[in-house]
Amino acid sequence: MKPRVAFFDFTGCEGCQLEVLNFNLEIVDLIGAVDIVEFREASSDHSEEYDIAFIEGSQTTQKDVERVQKIREKAGILVALGACSCTGGVNALKNRFPMEENLKVVYGDAAKYYTTIPTRPTSAYVKVDVHLHGCPPNRNEVISLVKCLLTGKKFELCHNPVCVECKLAENVCAFERGEFCLGPVTRGGCNAVCVTAGRKCWGCRAPVDEPNINSEKELLAKYGLTVDDVLNQFKLFNGALEVSK
Amino acid sequence: MVMQLTPKQSIHLPRIATVARVDTLSNREKVFEFRFDDGKELGQKPGQFVELSIFGVGEAPISVTSSPTQKGYFELAVRATGGVTNKLHTLEKGAKVGIRGPFGNGFPIETLKGKDILFVAGGIGLFPLRSLINYVLDNRKDFGEVTTLFGCRSPLERLFIGQLEEWNTCKDMSFLETVDTCQDDSWKGNVGVITTLFPKVHFNPVKTYAIVVGPPIMYRFVIAECIKKGLADDHIIMSLERRMKCGVGKCGHCQINGLYVCQEGPVFTYAQVKSLKEAV
Amino acid sequence: MQNQVISKKDLAGFVDELIKSKAAGEVIGIKTQGNKFNFGSLKSAAELRLDYDISLLPPKKYFFPQTETVLKYEAGANPRVEPVVEEKSMCIIGVHPFDIRGILLFDAVYGGNNPDPNYFLKRNNTVIIGVDCLKPNPKAFAASMGTAATDEGFDLMLTDIGDSYFVTVGTTKGENLLKKHAKAKDAKGGDLEKRDKARNDALKNYKVSLKMKPEEIPALLDANWESKVFHDKSETCFSCGSCVMVCPTCVCFDVQDDMALSLKGGERYRRWDGCMLTEFAKVASGENFREHKEQRFRHRMYRKGKYLVERYKYLGCVGCGRCATHCLAEIASPAETFNLIKEAK
Repeated sequence: MKPRVAFFDFTGCEGCQLEVLNFNLEIVDLIGAVDIVEFREASSDHSEEYDIAFIEGSQTTQKDVERVQKIREKAGILVALGACSCTGGVNALKNRFPMEENLKVVYGDAAKYYTTIPTRPTSAYVKVDVHLHGCPPNRNEVISLVKCLLTGKKFELCHNPVCVECKLAENVCAFERGEFCLGPVTRGGCNAVCVTAGRKCWGCRAPVDEPNINSEKELLAKYGLTVDDVLNQFKLFNGALEVSK
Repeated sequence: MVMQLTPKQSIHLPRIATVARVDTLSNREKVFEFRFDDGKELGQKPGQFVELSIFGVGEAPISVTSSPTQKGYFELAVRATGGVTNKLHTLEKGAKVGIRGPFGNGFPIETLKGKDILFVAGGIGLFPLRSLINYVLDNRKDFGEVTTLFGCRSPLERLFIGQLEEWNTCKDMSFLETVDTCQDDSWKGNVGVITTLFPKVHFNPVKTYAIVVGPPIMYRFVIAECIKKGLADDHIIMSLERRMKCGVGKCGHCQINGLYVCQEGPVFTYAQVKSLKEAV
Repeated sequence: MQNQVISKKDLAGFVDELIKSKAAGEVIGIKTQGNKFNFGSLKSAAELRLDYDISLLPPKKYFFPQTETVLKYEAGANPRVEPVVEEKSMCIIGVHPFDIRGILLFDAVYGGNNPDPNYFLKRNNTVIIGVDCLKPNPKAFAASMGTAATDEGFDLMLTDIGDSYFVTVGTTKGENLLKKHAKAKDAKGGDLEKRDKARNDALKNYKVSLKMKPEEIPALLDANWESKVFHDKSETCFSCGSCVMVCPTCVCFDVQDDMALSLKGGERYRRWDGCMLTEFAKVASGENFREHKEQRFRHRMYRKGKYLVERYKYLGCVGCGRCATHCLAEIASPAETFNLIKEAK
């Protein structure tokens, strides 16, 4: 029987699901290889039965937490899809302010009808089997994970910093262009897509296993940035992680 | 520099082999018998390894556990640890795999001829060593006194149990065995790490070669015992594990200092290893 | 073989003729990329820049691509497997002598006892037109490595002598191409002196130098395994692999399988890998034989200074300066490390 796959969205922009839909021809192969039983952006089907659950977005209310815990109970394999689920992502920016203030700014007078909790990665609430990092996640990595699940091969995250793929792509280093870049401490697997497009790395794929944060701070300081600048840059995607503290 | 080559000479191209038999050795280890689909022999020397392919998963270096004296097939004994080996453990008789090799230098059989031999195997170090032990037993008259020491962590981790029993009763070789620990009384034999067997064996260091294969931690202690018994550095022979990805001296993963384990190894003398800071 | 002289205008004509006639396959040359230089396919001689310092990636990528499929297979009960070897003819224009030394090392590594068709079916059909590097990169130290010039490894070697290029002819293949497609003249008295003067003047433009003879490096390293320099320098290492990715003498690769979603078959490919990356020496059991960045840093320095030259006779570092240019922590230059070890003695 084909594995049953479900996508669940929490707080986020739903760009991760969109990225999955963007697989073009591969989406056809994907549909042939697995049964997609829940995918709000693409299908009205619903199912309570699934083997693999992709979690998109972060959990920002107590209800979210309970929902993801229920999904965990049913899923054989639970995958955190994208930065919001893996690290809290951009949502974690709100952790810098008191929750009541966040509610007031967003909902104004209606704030009293809502609740919110500080953003944390999905792994803070349930066991996550695989993290597919990135904002959005890399489609090849998503496909590669599905292949691993189908063949029984162990899925390996990219262990190298973005710099490796950046060099393979023959990019001029962002630092050489006068930008400051988080590539040296950020997990690759994205084919250095941002730098290749002429931008810099914002660290959306979270730090590598052994990030040399001190060295990155020194490096950024050398380019005239203060510790606060550096931390702000880290916190854009990794505000909920220890490393940015 | 012109080197005339054809695609068929690809260093990455495996030959297809079929699983002819699978035996479970313990909860993590199995032994697989393979036959090449083209009917040819592997032609390995004891101590050499092959690159085993499972298409779609990848390749892994595996030492050959059978002796070349066994014709028509070869055996790989494998612990399920990585992607390829875990997948291999799910295969049954009739499954097809790819094989490249044999690679590496193998044990120095010519040097060992006419000499006394002390085999020391720790855990799955028995896998590569078994090829040589069986080779020696099959060519018994070519070698002097033979002693084998085998140690593993617990009675449950004993491997090739039938063969261990044979060796225990075989007149061609003395055989001693120990387990590191045993919690119950299921095991009547020696208990203690492998070095505790050393006081029980006696050999003439001048005409003896020790062949030691085991986990990295074992080497330090066993080598110390060998030296204490008077063995010269070049009479201590070991087989080392590294990540041999290509097997043909190109990819760089298996380097120990300046040596390529897939080319100059995996078998080294302690005299060589001593000068290699990265070896043990 | 008679050396030649070709005017700059006629060299452009020669390059355009090579592009048009495809006499030597695809024409590749040095072009600008942002404020940097890199090798790429030439559409016209106007794109070619021979006055460059270093390219982003060395020309090894043409014989040993960043990612290269090596096998195709059908999986299942009766797997079928076949080698994938891309064969290609090319002419690479503007290769510096130190990069040619890098290619010579590659020839030795990928040849030897187990020659690699994936490498040689591209390498054998490649014409190399070198150019002497007169404006070296500020981090380069080829002069002191003895790699700023080479007498082997090229079909033709160009040296800028003002209005024209002196053409040192290395092979009959190069000579024939020139005869057939270029308006070059036999070098006359004085031309050779001009070439040698240009080369000698260029040596003075190197800002970094190795403070010993390159032959002394292996013994220096032999005596200094415990040197504190390896620890101190590697402290700021990102383990980002930039130094090994851009290196003309880094030969290592990883091999991976990619199965199609249909599970009917797939490909095996190899991709550049390097000993400065954390997982490089890790085995399936989880043991990592170079777990610490100091061990990896030292291994790279030993490869550059000792292991490769002892094994293949060609230096493992050609002094191009790419690693030093790309290393954000500014620790990658082998010359700097070797000098520090020597000074610490």
